[in-house]
Amino acid sequence: MKKFMENTWKHRAHVIMALPVFLILFFIMYVPMAGLVMAFKNFNYADGIWKSPWNGLDNFKFLLASKATFISITKNTILYYLLFTLVGTFLNVTLAIMIDRLVFKRMAKTMQTLMIIPVFISYAAVQFIVYAFISSDTGIINHMLGTSTRFYSTAKLWPWILLIVKMWKDTGYGSVLYMSVLAGIDAELYEAADIDGANSWQKIWHITLPSLVPMITVMLLLSVGTVMHSDTGLFYQVTRNSGTLYSTTQVIDAYVLNAIFKNSNFGFVAATSFFQSIVGLLLMLLANFSVRKIAPENALF
Amino acid sequence: MAKKNKDLEPSKKEKVTFGQIILAIILLAFTVFAFMPVELTFVAAFTDEKSITQNGFRFWPLQWSLAGIGTVLRYGQQLAKSYGVTIFVTVVGTFMGLLFMSMFAYSISRKEFYLAKFLSIFLLIPMLFNGGTLSGYIIFTSYYHLKDSLWLLILPLCVSTMNVIILRTYIVNSIPGELMEAAKIDGAGEYRTFFQITLPLLKPSLAAVGFMMATAYWNDWQNALLYIDSDAKKPLQLLLINIQKSIEFLLNNSNVPASARAAMGGTIPQYSATMATVLVVIGPIMVVYPFFQKYFIKGLTVGSVKG
Repeated sequence: MKKFMENTWKHRAHVIMALPVFLILFFIMYVPMAGLVMAFKNFNYADGIWKSPWNGLDNFKFLLASKATFISITKNTILYYLLFTLVGTFLNVTLAIMIDRLVFKRMAKTMQTLMIIPVFISYAAVQFIVYAFISSDTGIINHMLGTSTRFYSTAKLWPWILLIVKMWKDTGYGSVLYMSVLAGIDAELYEAADIDGANSWQKIWHITLPSLVPMITVMLLLSVGTVMHSDTGLFYQVTRNSGTLYSTTQVIDAYVLNAIFKNSNFGFVAATSFFQSIVGLLLMLLANFSVRKIAPENALF
Repeated sequence: MAKKNKDLEPSKKEKVTFGQIILAIILLAFTVFAFMPVELTFVAAFTDEKSITQNGFRFWPLQWSLAGIGTVLRYGQQLAKSYGVTIFVTVVGTFMGLLFMSMFAYSISRKEFYLAKFLSIFLLIPMLFNGGTLSGYIIFTSYYHLKDSLWLLILPLCVSTMNVIILRTYIVNSIPGELMEAAKIDGAGEYRTFFQITLPLLKPSLAAVGFMMATAYWNDWQNALLYIDSDAKKPLQLLLINIQKSIEFLLNNSNVPASARAAMGGTIPQYSATMATVLVVIGPIMVVYPFFQKYFIKGLTVGSVKG
């Protein structure tokens, strides 16, 4: 103990410099972690989180009893993760290779600048832009096709709409990372391939793609850790939180947000949150463990 | 036009083949796809209201009008307030975050600091595990009593594990340790070494992280929706959400009396005015972003190389 105090005094400058972040993390991140005990309590506002009575696994029993909602939001969360990750990775990589291979370098640069812009638009604003495209009476799509589809009440169209919006927003930005890998490929490899008479496809297949594989693997594995967390704005804002669309658009994060506003059964939500956090932790550990195996320098810890 | 032709000139080494032209066309198509919605926002903000209600939104309007922008300026008081809130939160949050995170990153990068290991783990855990929105909501509102406080817009986005890692990686890899040791031998204390040696050299990384933080603050709607009630503290994103909600309310309640509609002032469903508001909200980032592009691309790369 005495040694600890001596050390602290000796390094007081370091301690003081680390303190603000320590305190913010403690109060903003760590205390809410303890709040997860709610999942095992019969929460009411009067008693608060710590003093509300324990009720064992009742919340989880309730979760299983009304499993339709729970299964639906979990299924949506996972399926959208798979859809966005597969299509997203494919588009990011394709776009990165195309920009990298284009010989008009300045044109490529300008195009890249324009493509990245959507990532900086908040979903609260994107929502209005999407509306301009798909509103039933003033929307561009209905006007162009001469139809009168009611997009905001047709649940089965939404996986496609959300996919397009998500790809529009993230692809330009997502390709940047892969482009930085491509920029690092030794130009001599391509020159050697030219001498050997390789055509463009062969060069992409034998030089470009193999050099991207490590980064693709790492990014895919790391993304596994975020399966349970969705891009809340996409599912809450872009859908206008429309109840008729919930069957295909409600994900766990958006569900929790709704529950808070509607002040609905917190026991159920707390149990869902607990499940989300624990599964998230396991997936994160799994993701890091696998990255560590194949590319230790990219592991998070 | 002349400039554009110059852009199209091939670089010396590679030949312009038919394939290259096709490639350029595909990329151009994607650029158009990415940019059209932004163009639409701009155009719709300057389109005549009647032409939207009758002919729908268009990429090129049948009739231009400044009425939309005019309406935005009419209910400009709330807009000005919200602008103030967003700018305040963005500036304070970004600078506070950068200062605190680089101090922390500096501390844990010192090998002789006995708590470095513990603090690194302490930093890492929130990335693996978190209490979730509900628990945070209850703790922040009924224990910290911060409901309707700007602190809840600033603090949750202030520190991120990933950003600290990016800064620490930069300190370890790109700032020579000898430099900091030399400063110490010359009699500089820890604070002086940090503020006069480390911080200035950290600039490229600070620019990258700072820009990403600033956009996160600017675009944050969730914390505002959860915690902010009063008009005086409403940031821009919450203003957008409120506009959408009042439109929905009016659409679903056709029997709202005319006087109530009038009282709602600028939030009556006016497409061009709404788009003008969107434009005013997203505009600043688009103006600033090209200047930061090279930094954040670099920052992104540094972060990915080593955590």
